[in-house]
Amino acid sequence: MSDNKQIVADIDHSLYDFKDIENEQDFYRMKEGLTEETVLKVSEEKNDPEWMRNFRLKCLGIYHDLKIPDWGPDIDGLDMDKISSYVRHKSDMKGSWEEVPEDIKNTFEKLGIPQAERESLAGVGAQYDSELVYHNVKDEVAAQGVIYTDLESAMRGPYADMIKSHFMKLVPPTDHKFAALHGAVWSGGSFVYVPKGVKVDIPLQSYFRLNAAGAGQFEHTLIIVDEGADLHFIEGCSAPKYNVANLHAGCVELYVGKNARLRYSTIENWSKNMYNLNTKRAIVEEGGRMEWVSGSFGSHTSYLYPMTILKGDESQMEFTGITFAGKGQNLDTGAKVVHQGQRTSSFISTKSISKDGGIGTYRSSVVINSTAKKAKASVSCDSLMLDSISRADTIPGMDIRTDDADVGHEAKIGRISDEAIFYLMSRGISEEDAKAMIVSGFANPVSKELPLEYAVEMNNLIKLEMSGNM
Amino acid sequence: MKKDLNMKVNVLPVLTYNFLHVNDSAITGSDINIDKLVSPEAASIPQGVSVKRVSFTEAGELFRQNSERILVSTGVPGVPNGDTSARDASQAVRTGMGADVDNLMESVGAMVDVYTVEEGVKANEPVILNFNMDKGQGVLTGQVIHAMRDSEITVIMDYNSEADAEGFLGVSTRLLAEDGAKINLVKAQLLGRNFTHFDDIGGACFTQGAINITTLELGASKVWTGSYINLAEKEAELFSNMGYLCRGDEKLDINYVSDHRGKKTNASMQFKGVLLDEAKKTFRGTIDFKNGSSGSAGDEQEDALLLSPDVVNRSMPVILCQEEDVDGRHGATIGQLGEDLLFYMQSRGIDEEEAKRIMIRARLESVARTIPDPALMQRVQYYIQNIL
Repeated sequence: MSDNKQIVADIDHSLYDFKDIENEQDFYRMKEGLTEETVLKVSEEKNDPEWMRNFRLKCLGIYHDLKIPDWGPDIDGLDMDKISSYVRHKSDMKGSWEEVPEDIKNTFEKLGIPQAERESLAGVGAQYDSELVYHNVKDEVAAQGVIYTDLESAMRGPYADMIKSHFMKLVPPTDHKFAALHGAVWSGGSFVYVPKGVKVDIPLQSYFRLNAAGAGQFEHTLIIVDEGADLHFIEGCSAPKYNVANLHAGCVELYVGKNARLRYSTIENWSKNMYNLNTKRAIVEEGGRMEWVSGSFGSHTSYLYPMTILKGDESQMEFTGITFAGKGQNLDTGAKVVHQGQRTSSFISTKSISKDGGIGTYRSSVVINSTAKKAKASVSCDSLMLDSISRADTIPGMDIRTDDADVGHEAKIGRISDEAIFYLMSRGISEEDAKAMIVSGFANPVSKELPLEYAVEMNNLIKLEMSGNM
Repeated sequence: MKKDLNMKVNVLPVLTYNFLHVNDSAITGSDINIDKLVSPEAASIPQGVSVKRVSFTEAGELFRQNSERILVSTGVPGVPNGDTSARDASQAVRTGMGADVDNLMESVGAMVDVYTVEEGVKANEPVILNFNMDKGQGVLTGQVIHAMRDSEITVIMDYNSEADAEGFLGVSTRLLAEDGAKINLVKAQLLGRNFTHFDDIGGACFTQGAINITTLELGASKVWTGSYINLAEKEAELFSNMGYLCRGDEKLDINYVSDHRGKKTNASMQFKGVLLDEAKKTFRGTIDFKNGSSGSAGDEQEDALLLSPDVVNRSMPVILCQEEDVDGRHGATIGQLGEDLLFYMQSRGIDEEEAKRIMIRARLESVARTIPDPALMQRVQYYIQNIL
């Protein structure tokens, strides 16, 4: 067999890398920097209730008190004085696609969002920069009592108390510096409530597009799936590439009720100037099940570790993730789980691919508290190195405080095995095709967890074009 | 002399979430009695092996002279997120516990015995160092084991005292295995249950050199142990095998690193242990494939048996990788005895308590059996038999 090296192509971002010029006539853009004045201005723009205005100011204080984490990727390139916290189109959110302003509509049309809604979704929310521009839910889903709306209007409607009692309770602003930042300037995002026993058969989707240069997106997603209910929620993110830093510090809070199930799927393809400092957390009651499917492909720098608190007895969590770190990217991703209830179980399975000098780090924590008798936890993380100028690091942590638990962990780092290629070649497959098959197979456990059309999108994203000899 | 200790040791090669409390460990204490700064002398020294007693700094000279070979960087330099390597860069050779141990050794004037094995000499008997600690005694000392080209040596350290004795024992052992040389280092720690103990190991292997480390941590109330081995050149090898037992309110803190720099290097690290009562253990194990270490393999296995609802077990199995052609693996099994195994034992008329005793002994004896000195092996086996 030849020693020639295979070239694996980088992800093709061109599909997402188109810019729409935002002029002053149509867009309102807050001045860069983070001060009490900017926070109050966001609050005023949003017409916040008083408790939210005070909460934002409290968060700003916490933001200034907290330090940047000392353990993750370098974020020196992120200068908050050059980030605008709030950019919005001067039109209001629409419930009908035809009423959405033409320029924004074009953006989402190019991304295929309305088509996806027509074909396979129960509801769609589309956020452009700091505000939701479109929200719609199918009549038959709304008739089941499912609420899917923007968070701001929900905060002033019949669900106001529910939001007040859940908002940033799972991710308190003291959690870390960028959770506090989120609390201070959050804008946009969705609120979903699925009533007791209601099963939503087809997924809901929110799509986040950050089009403005040098801006931050701070959307908040709050989902409450009540007892015995079932929901699949899909989140997509993208942005065009600029030569200045953009920031995404969103927050996702998920409440999974007794015997309920929530699947939360994300395909993240932020552009390579994005600092993605996102926080996601779920709490699961007795017999409930939380399923995460997470694909991280974009961003310059990512800190992303969706966390699950298995509070109720026999609650379950499953995390399936893939990270592709290419040139110039430092993606620090993984998952966290806390076992609190008895007979709880968690299963974390991740794949990461590093190439062209990209840094892919898998970082996790599994905590089994003394109350979590008969808990079971299993972690499996595989990394594939496609060249020798990249990095693939695995940093898993386990903290076990009871003898009555069963914890297994396995990690593997390696390259495409010569034996596997040899085997496939002996079956008449070319070396190039054999390598392509092996890399696709490596990503397969993640793509098979996604609905078909998203699996196709993910495969497009990976675009592991195997070609030529080096 | 009396010494106040305030040391940060066992720093994880890459930092992670602070809430896990695994990034480092602290050794603190005031008025620690340190009354001896030398190692015990071996009863006999094999032919072709010489011993010289020097200061800690002077003993480090061997590593400083070889620093270019030890810290060879053949590829693209790169650092992982949360890298802590700069912290211990001042060391003559990096050790698992880090620079604060070196600073302590130097500040108290601890002496180091340098064992040099002449080129081509295969020592015909092990060097045995008996640390028979008295009650209340405090010892701080070090060794350097230097195996020249194609030589081989086995050094056995036996740390023991009366079962209820208190005291302090800190040991620094640094190793250099030159081309084709082999160092077998065995440490059996059977100290009294009120002892504070640390054991710091650092070293390097050149082309086809090998370092084998066998450790048994069975006694003492607070134990810190670390090892950092540079597999600097082609086909260098590290085999490390640890057995431990923590009971009562004992604390054990571990930091083992294999640093792969040469091509086709190989490391295997095994950790087997048992936690009882209210014991607390923190394990950090890192395999670091530096750029240029193509063809290398690293395997790290942890097997922790937890036998009380009040134990705390923290594990950080880390793999760092900046090389395509490597094979890195880590596996961990943490928990109590499997129900199938218990059922099998019970079907053979063995009750649960006896089954547990059998499994504890089996784990520790699998390490004890590899001790190359029959007298010490027998004593360790006797100790294990009488644990419960």
